[in-house]
Amino acid sequence: MAASASFLDPAALMAIRNLELRARTVVEGFWHGLHRSPYHGFSVEFTEYRPYSIGDDPRHLDWKLVGRTDRYYIKKFEDETNLRCQLLIDGSRSMTFGSRGYTKAEYAHTFAATLAHFLDQQGDAVGLLTFDEEVREYLPPRHRPGHLRQLMLALEKPAGGQTTDLIKPLRRMAELMRRRGMIVLVSDLLAPLATLETSLALLTASGHEVLVFQLLDPAEVSFTFDAPARFVDLETGRDIFLEPALARAEYQRRLEAHTAEVRAVCERLGVTLQRLTSDQPLELALFDFLKVRASRGKLARRRTAA
Amino acid sequence: MSFLAPLFLLGALAVLGPIAFHLIRRTTREVTPFSTLMFLQPTPPRVTKRSRLENIWLLLLRCLAIALLALGFARPFLQSKATSATAAGGTGKRTVILLDTSASMRREELASTAREKVEELLRNAGPDDQVAVVAFDRSVRPVISFEEWKTLGPGERAAVAGQRLAGVMPTWEGTHLDTALLHAASLLDTPGDDLPHPREIVIVSDLQEGSRVDGVQGYEWPRSIQVTLQTVQAKQEQNAGIQWIVESEETENSGSGEASVRLRISSASEAMREPLAVQWAETKPGEAAAKLSVTITSGRSQTVRAPKPPDATATKLTFSGDQADFDNTVYVLPPETAQIPVLFLGTDPAEDPRGSLYYLRRGFPTTRQQRVEIVAHAGNAPVPGFQLQQAQLLVLGEEPVETSIAAARQFAREGRIVVAPLTSVTSAQTVARLFDLPQLPAAEAKVKDYALLGQIDFQHPLFAAFADPRFSDFTKIHFWKHRQLDTAPLPGARIIARFDSGDPAIVQAPLGKGSVVIFTSSWRTSDSQLALSSKFVPLLHALLEQSRNLPVQKAQYFVGDEVPLPSAAQPFRIRKPDGSEVDAAAESKFAGTDQPGVYAITPGTQRFVVNLAPEESRTAPLAAQRFIALGVPLTNATANLPAVTPEAGARIQAAELENRQKVWRWLIVTALAALLLETILAGRLSRTIGRPATAQT
Repeated sequence: MAASASFLDPAALMAIRNLELRARTVVEGFWHGLHRSPYHGFSVEFTEYRPYSIGDDPRHLDWKLVGRTDRYYIKKFEDETNLRCQLLIDGSRSMTFGSRGYTKAEYAHTFAATLAHFLDQQGDAVGLLTFDEEVREYLPPRHRPGHLRQLMLALEKPAGGQTTDLIKPLRRMAELMRRRGMIVLVSDLLAPLATLETSLALLTASGHEVLVFQLLDPAEVSFTFDAPARFVDLETGRDIFLEPALARAEYQRRLEAHTAEVRAVCERLGVTLQRLTSDQPLELALFDFLKVRASRGKLARRRTAA
Repeated sequence: MSFLAPLFLLGALAVLGPIAFHLIRRTTREVTPFSTLMFLQPTPPRVTKRSRLENIWLLLLRCLAIALLALGFARPFLQSKATSATAAGGTGKRTVILLDTSASMRREELASTAREKVEELLRNAGPDDQVAVVAFDRSVRPVISFEEWKTLGPGERAAVAGQRLAGVMPTWEGTHLDTALLHAASLLDTPGDDLPHPREIVIVSDLQEGSRVDGVQGYEWPRSIQVTLQTVQAKQEQNAGIQWIVESEETENSGSGEASVRLRISSASEAMREPLAVQWAETKPGEAAAKLSVTITSGRSQTVRAPKPPDATATKLTFSGDQADFDNTVYVLPPETAQIPVLFLGTDPAEDPRGSLYYLRRGFPTTRQQRVEIVAHAGNAPVPGFQLQQAQLLVLGEEPVETSIAAARQFAREGRIVVAPLTSVTSAQTVARLFDLPQLPAAEAKVKDYALLGQIDFQHPLFAAFADPRFSDFTKIHFWKHRQLDTAPLPGARIIARFDSGDPAIVQAPLGKGSVVIFTSSWRTSDSQLALSSKFVPLLHALLEQSRNLPVQKAQYFVGDEVPLPSAAQPFRIRKPDGSEVDAAAESKFAGTDQPGVYAITPGTQRFVVNLAPEESRTAPLAAQRFIALGVPLTNATANLPAVTPEAGARIQAAELENRQKVWRWLIVTALAALLLETILAGRLSRTIGRPATAQT
């Protein structure tokens, strides 16, 4: 994806030290851009009424309606109707790779911060879960003053993990997040996928809407190394000698196979998979997110209609 | 160019190492971290065309260093044409044959056996070989030299050598094998001959235990010299030797007058079963010789007293009972008592203890070697010429007459010593007359209490015997009176001793061929304690010895020893035991002691005895280990060791040549230089291109 001149160069953006400021820069720019965008119909699900049944909290009764029609209807609260978005950020060692002067982890954090800032501005509840081989930071989705700041602080903590283990954090997520919502997983997904399907299935089965952003460095995609060298695995420390020119084709083939496998899993489960490269402007990433959301909304409506 | 260790050239294959390392790109330096190796397979290092061209000079230097090292270890040497020719032919050997002609070779047929062996060796010599034959005992005598060998035709060599060998007979001398070996080595090691011939020394000898070999210890043998032992063995190995033990004066009981002869009889290491019978060779007619039976264990020696000689002139002792006869005779010559007259010219009464003569008579005790006779002349009668001739020392006493002084002057001029004690101031005038001086200033010294000898020249022969600190204490001798003598008028006077006042005490002044020894005091009891001190007798003896000036005579000599001859006006004739006579100059050394027996010197009655060296009697074979211990390069150290094969000889030659040329040193130095250059070059290269290459994405 070629970066357009109207978008912020990720490298320039990453030069901003403060994560919150970084996120705000992106979101404000995005808002400006959005006026020109044809996709402005975005909104959370609208409020609904349902008949009162015994056991419901009488606080939730719509007293105005009772006064007007003498019928007992339960009115959904505003926050409840808003989007509950949980961001899952991979903090494993493989995310510390970066060929552009910043790492994938930095890009992922900025992306998460941007998303959180954006959703917060919309009034949605945003939560955060960072993980490597286990869960590191957990903030439940809320929409409160100060929550965003806390979230930014959590994101600024350095990633200290070793390997990527998707199973445990996803299972934990399923346990923690009882209410339905949206789960955004940002990871390079460079891990064996044996149980990815079951874990993702656990989330989709709980009714969550799952978005997966596979974040890769451009070097990981194109494998544009020249010099033969010892390649050291950031997670395991294993090293092998490589002649990149010879290994490139095979690498790309296997990477694509892996990605195809992931995509297949996601399609089976109705999970949206989007690939991000870390040289992509964040606005575009955010735009991708919105696009995915919109199509998801249509898809969901189609599904409910069906 | 040849190589001593050509297998080391295989080491040059190691140049493949640097070439391979240069072809393979460096792998270990650069490390690229990557997110995951999930999709990566190790690829083998790639050989690229580009890398082959990298650092070509470095590669060349490395290959050069390795190749030079391999070449150096292979020990190359340049073989000259002549060497390769001789090496190819396998000939051109230089051999020195040492033929033993010592007394022990007189046993049985040893001499002829040895000669046959030498002849066989000569016959077997190739036409290119060079052979020298050297006969040896105490000394070495060339039989055929290398030069003679070269001038003779190959056909006639053996014949000529055989002729000469026929004239080589065993002598009576001892075996100095070390001298012979060193001589042979020097013959072989001629300078200027830089071609490494195989060189060999062949010893044809009975190799008896008594051979002297210690001289080769520490000798650095040239590398290519080999020593071969060709031993001739006697069938009968039992042998005993006899040796006359000359007794020193201290052990002599001169009182009895009848000296017994002590003999040491020793056996070689083989067992002696029968007792040996020792007897005098000369017997009185009709009288059975007195025999002494000695049983001796093997390898031991025993000291016995010889039986009573049949008469005083008996000189030859023999024994029988062993199997080798050459060493069964010993000659014994009892030392004769020399009559030494000492003239005393003066009026001193002989039996007056206050005079000089009294102590002089008692100052020369009679020993077995000499009897000193004091001949005193008191009157006006001139001293008889024969007395003057025979006297060995002259002492001036009180008031000598003019004729006495003239006799003393003549005596000194003939080369002897005149002793002149100054008993009074007037005695100085006697000395003045002796030197034909008008006046010799002298005065009575003023002595408080007593004077001592303060300064003594212990270098002088007169006092040399006292030089040892144990004997050099002269402070016990007090001088009551002495005279101050002005030595200036005496030409060449040497002050031997001074009093503590600095006045001369003993002065020696040359006169003619001899000298005058002046005592400024005297040994009379009125003058000093000198005559009563323990120094008096040695001092008189020293004077007598210096006056006689005789070479020290030994009681017995061994065959080959040099005998010093006394001084005399005319040359001597020396009669050997076999009756032949030899002329010898006086005061020289007589070296013709080539046979055991009694030698007589004429004119005069002096005789000396020459015996066989006792070491020759030790006929047990010498162990080859002894040679090995001395570092002699034996070829057949163990008797059946095969001789050096031509290949081994060529190898030894090559080693010698290589050792001389030492090409490897230069190769190693060049290799080091190449490595140094390589280091410098590599350092420069790593500075310029050493930055790690990073991934360009």
